[in-house]
Amino acid sequence: MGRRVLLRSSWLPYLLIAPALAVLLALSIYPLIYSITVSLQVGEAWGFGNFTRLASDNFFLTAMAHTFVYAAAALTCEFLLGLGLALLLNGQIRGRGLFRATLLVPMMLPPVVAAVVWRLMLNPNFGAVNGTLKQIGIDTESLTWTASPGLAMLSVIAVDVWQWTPFVFLVLLAGLQAIPQEPYEAALIDGSNRWQTFRHVTLPLLKPAILIVLLLRTMDLLRVFDQIFILTEGGPGFATETISLYIYRTAFRFFDFGYAAAMSFVLLALTNVISVVYIRFLKHETRIS
Amino acid sequence: MKHGFLKYGFLVVALVAALAPVYWMFTISLKSEVDHFAFPPPWFTFTPTLEHYYDAFVTRSFGQYLITSAIVAVVSTLFALVLGTLAAYALARFRLPYDLDRRLSLWILSTRMFPAIVTAVPLFLMMRDLTLLDTKASLIIVYTSFNLPFVVWMMRGFFDEVPRDLEEAALVDGDSRLGALVRVVLPLVAPGLAATAVFCLIVSWNEFLFALVLTQTDASMTLPVGIAGRVTQYEIKWGVMSAAGAVAIVPILVFAMAMQKYLVRGLSLGAVKE
Repeated sequence: MGRRVLLRSSWLPYLLIAPALAVLLALSIYPLIYSITVSLQVGEAWGFGNFTRLASDNFFLTAMAHTFVYAAAALTCEFLLGLGLALLLNGQIRGRGLFRATLLVPMMLPPVVAAVVWRLMLNPNFGAVNGTLKQIGIDTESLTWTASPGLAMLSVIAVDVWQWTPFVFLVLLAGLQAIPQEPYEAALIDGSNRWQTFRHVTLPLLKPAILIVLLLRTMDLLRVFDQIFILTEGGPGFATETISLYIYRTAFRFFDFGYAAAMSFVLLALTNVISVVYIRFLKHETRIS
Repeated sequence: MKHGFLKYGFLVVALVAALAPVYWMFTISLKSEVDHFAFPPPWFTFTPTLEHYYDAFVTRSFGQYLITSAIVAVVSTLFALVLGTLAAYALARFRLPYDLDRRLSLWILSTRMFPAIVTAVPLFLMMRDLTLLDTKASLIIVYTSFNLPFVVWMMRGFFDEVPRDLEEAALVDGDSRLGALVRVVLPLVAPGLAATAVFCLIVSWNEFLFALVLTQTDASMTLPVGIAGRVTQYEIKWGVMSAAGAVAIVPILVFAMAMQKYLVRGLSLGAVKE
């Protein structure tokens, strides 16, 4: 209560907030409302046709499945690799600053450029990956990466892992470094081994950082668009088409804005539910710690 | 000793994995076309040439895309900073009735969480109605709105860290509220403001989906859309694409290295402080 004392004028804060609020209402909230009206129109008539269509649309269901596979696989790899790197670099290591700065490079790239980089790397005939593999005597005939239905999903996931593991690493490293020394000293006195210390000291204290990074990554993974659009455009066939790409195709290739809007609400609801779950956990964690 | 060796081995692998692909793109941008298709892939030995850079930025329109990207990023960042900083200051320093300050902050943050494609469809239709499609203005407007929640959230955190006594002293000295903000508080949060600005610049510079949806011609295309346009055409110009990609990266890397200190904080929307 007593913290915010300086508040004599009652109109000033509203005046300061109003412009920002107006912009957000006009460009975030109004579009959503507009989108609802668009989604409820089928031709000239009003109705829920666009929403009922979703259940029987195989493209939609497949795109949802792809989105989940992509998100789950990339999140798992990024988390495990990021945590591993953070634990390694948290100790005494020479040249840590250099390591850290270098690992930042992938995630700062525009996603479009990251995708271009990997198109150059993964080109079946002239890419550096197959070229180098061939050079050391591996047959690359069947390794057509983004062009093969079997490998395309793996390729786009790998590119995401390449680009975003550094982010997970950075946040977890910051979390690790914020842990005080005392609990470790206590664990040492108790005679805990390394694994016990990790399990009972590091992990619980790192949990808020873990939840935040998982939340942010999950949100980004569920809406992934840029890299896949450049790498495969959802192909070959529809092998890598995620929900954002399908919405894009529906709206801007077929100009079916109503249906695209309906799908985008499903995506919005999904990301909302998931973020609420994460935030619940996060609140729980910060309360008990 | 053996353990340390393993540790460094793992780190070196991570470094090579992080950098090699980007390095490869730089070499492609500097190699003549013959070397693009050479086997074994020439990682280190090739005769460098600037022909692709000339081709992209002089012969083709990438120079124009570059300028558009810069204008859109700078102008939208300025708008977002001004609007966002004022709101953040109010939310950090005033207690509003009905817990409104806290609720507004959370609501503002939540608008940032919307998946881009969700607002892309209605924003396209709105810009079409306003006949703003294919203009820089449409991108500036959209980028301002999605950088705004970020600025509010970051700056609120930075304002919270400034002790109130300093402002109180200025107020006692007869300064107005805004006078105190400009003369006392802003200089203290200047590093945070700069870091926030850099973040907005990077986000706008990297943005792809809205630019793809809202622009169509060379006159308003940004660099990512220009690059993407070369990729999806039938004949891929590897050299041109890499040269444009290389140029798109440079300002980002310079900025990112310059504000490493705030990187984690910005990337986690202020949730993790270093």
